[in-house]
Amino acid sequence: MSADRDAEGPPLERWVGLVLRIGVMASSACLTVGLVLVLISGGEGGAAGILLRTGIIVLLVTPVARVVVSTAQYIIVRDWTFAVLTTIVLVELMASVVAAFFLNRRI
Amino acid sequence: MPVVTPSLALIIFVVGAAAGSLGALLGLGGGVFLVPFLNLVLGFPFSAAAAISLTTVIATSSSVSAGRAGKHLINMKLGMLLEVATAAGSLLGGVTAQLIAQSLLQKLFGIVAALVALIMLSRLRRRNVILDPAADPGVLGGRFYEAESRGMVTYRVKRLPLAVAASFVAGNVSSLLGIGGGIIKVPILNAWCGIPLRAAAATSAFMIGVTATAGAIIYYGHGQLEPALAAAAVLGVQVGSWGGLRFGATASSKWLKILMAALLFIVSAMMFLRGGR
Repeated sequence: MSADRDAEGPPLERWVGLVLRIGVMASSACLTVGLVLVLISGGEGGAAGILLRTGIIVLLVTPVARVVVSTAQYIIVRDWTFAVLTTIVLVELMASVVAAFFLNRRI
Repeated sequence: MPVVTPSLALIIFVVGAAAGSLGALLGLGGGVFLVPFLNLVLGFPFSAAAAISLTTVIATSSSVSAGRAGKHLINMKLGMLLEVATAAGSLLGGVTAQLIAQSLLQKLFGIVAALVALIMLSRLRRRNVILDPAADPGVLGGRFYEAESRGMVTYRVKRLPLAVAASFVAGNVSSLLGIGGGIIKVPILNAWCGIPLRAAAATSAFMIGVTATAGAIIYYGHGQLEPALAAAAVLGVQVGSWGGLRFGATASSKWLKILMAALLFIVSAMMFLRGGR
């Protein structure tokens, strides 16, 4: 039991690894197909544009999801210090979304 | 915003692959090579170059850390603590980048590129300090198996405020200039905070995904990220860093570092010339 655990690492590392792996594979797949479609059709409209945008969004969301998973895991093990710290990181990431909208309006 | 053509996408893919493999061989991200190429050679606005580069930083961080998670090399607690500082720095840098002139960003890049070159030259003969395996790592320290020395390396984190400050600066520079920022924090974490080089590098690579995301969201929201070109760069860097990591062990890193330091000095000078106009 403990040897199994050790081989795969503690639960937090397993979850983080899983989230990152899924995120990388999903975004790379969308970006690859999207880019190939752009090269074939010569434009970013239609399916190509949607795939490219989805790929970029998945790419940007992956690290955020990794922080969410960490926060959840720290709450489960009642490590409040790190639950708070990872929540602060999430707030900072949300603040950059807000800043993006704010800058768009002003400039 | 640059117009997407198949040949431009192909060029960016190839340059991304070159930057990614160099980055993997030298232990730094490819951004420090990608940004000047996009800005100086292809003539993209600095913000468009930085935005594309940041997406490659995120992709590299996620894929490298996915493979390393569970192997105890990444110090997740330390990483998540320092992310509070890098994300704050990155948020501030992303906002600042929208408000200051391109010429100032180019000069800043020139300074950082020269600094990176100097750091690289000063660390040609870097060495890991092997600490007492029986030591207590504390809350933030770590313990991992090192293949080269065939032993467990245990370490405690020293001078945490310095690590936090370095992370803030690295995060700030990251989103201002479109680079990962590892080159700024890894030497400090290693030299002054007691963290073995491999753990410092792995933890930094883990952190830069979140760091770069805070900045990239701002560039993307502001319409400065061209998705097709970002895709070409991301895929190129992925292929390149995969190749660099596979064949990295056989390359003579000392001469490569000297060569790349020279290249960075040239980049630095070109950025100053361009920024001074």
